Amino acid sequence: MDVEKPSNPPLTSCIDRIVLPGDTVLDLSTMANQTIKLGEGLRQDCDTISVMKAGKLRLSKPNKYWVESSHKRYVPCAEDTILGIVVDSKPDNFLVDIKGPTLALLPVLAFEGGTRRNIPKFEVGTLLYVRVVKANNSMNPELSCTDATGKAAEFGPLKDGYMFETSTGLARMLLGSPTCPILEALGKKLSFEIAIGLNGRVWVNASSPATIIVVSNAIMNSEFLSGTQQRIMVEKLMQKLQ
Amino acid sequence: MEYVNPLTGFRLDGRRPNEMRQIRGEIGVVAKADGSALFEMGNTKVIAAVYGPREVRNKGQQINNQALVRCEYGMANFSTGDRRRKPKGDRRSTEISLVIRQTMEACILTHLMPHSQIDIFVQVLQADGGTRSACINAATLALADAGIPMRDIVTSCSAGYLCSTPLLDLNYVEDSAGGPDVTVGILAKMDKVTLLQMDAKLPMDIFENVMQLAIEGCKAVAHYIREVLLEHTKQLECHRGA
Repeated sequence: MDVEKPSNPPLTSCIDRIVLPGDTVLDLSTMANQTIKLGEGLRQDCDTISVMKAGKLRLSKPNKYWVESSHKRYVPCAEDTILGIVVDSKPDNFLVDIKGPTLALLPVLAFEGGTRRNIPKFEVGTLLYVRVVKANNSMNPELSCTDATGKAAEFGPLKDGYMFETSTGLARMLLGSPTCPILEALGKKLSFEIAIGLNGRVWVNASSPATIIVVSNAIMNSEFLSGTQQRIMVEKLMQKLQ
Repeated sequence: MEYVNPLTGFRLDGRRPNEMRQIRGEIGVVAKADGSALFEMGNTKVIAAVYGPREVRNKGQQINNQALVRCEYGMANFSTGDRRRKPKGDRRSTEISLVIRQTMEACILTHLMPHSQIDIFVQVLQADGGTRSACINAATLALADAGIPMRDIVTSCSAGYLCSTPLLDLNYVEDSAGGPDVTVGILAKMDKVTLLQMDAKLPMDIFENVMQLAIEGCKAVAHYIREVLLEHTKQLECHRGA
């Protein structure tokens, strides 16, 4: 039985190609003195850089490499804006589930004008729009309901509306700029409020439940459609609504 | 009984001694799981579902510097010829759960996710020999689907020795013949063995041949698994960023 050993292609041809766990994408011994920054999905094994997750290898000039992939679980990263659900409250922190490896901590004072006297009371199950302050794999991530300057900036509990879960890739696509086609097309015809978390949670609110349902279903179905297909889908949905 | 026909060299199911059964893999079969896969080797069908990394349920088992990997192997009641009364918890299932856990733990980069838990559930839907190998192959696909950082792809295959011939990928009839059954699990690109099990006895030189045959079988499975993963990841990337 003949099985060819797959050879490793040189680095430049791996960029923007799908790579799988175990693939070696870079041999440091052949490169001159350079600093390379490794993002998610890559690790250094002595003199080689190998892949940890299946996805597309990306390069941001001059020297940042990472593997772009879409999964259901979230890897906490500082300065990400996400949607969390309160699981428990302690004297100093709220314990928040963010779809990551561990629960995150939201200090009770991390709100605009937060003092010991006006600590918010969140019930178990409250949906919060928060910002990740610190994310380190050896500790629980820390969250905050203020932006870097201390202002509230739309962070905090989200009332009413409907929350659904998607993959991290779809969340990134929805948050991309310029505005992704599905949100643009929906926004032209319907009026709704939306909060997208990089951890794959999306919250939609509108004046009528019918609008909320249409928007949520449209977003959930748009994951694998191209821009044009998304616009066509929204057109058809609008026709049905009328 | 004639497991290998002396005249034609064919086995009972018409294969040659160094031929594997037909393999098929599918990713994303369990919607609720973070990663899932279905793997078939001939008539053996196995489903693997992976949950994690997530918060540890039992704080007593938490490990401070790495993720806790748990694995449960179960056989459906209808998977074998006679209806099984105890799908889990019997000796064989406990042993195979342990084997699969150790094999997958060797390839998961657990130190990246301390204080968390990764659950691998494997369920045999149809058992026709080689369930252990099919489970490991399915678990690899499911872990890649879940985006859990791995060193490399683990694949597994079994081989035996009947009628003085090394045979690759035994089915149930050949397995029950009472001859030796060698199961090998390797890290495909790194060419390292993570699982090696044998029951019954074999002289050393013949064992080397049988193990080598099983390793070649593993490499063929790895080739196929890479293709399945590539196809699946390409599909996810297909229209994003258009």
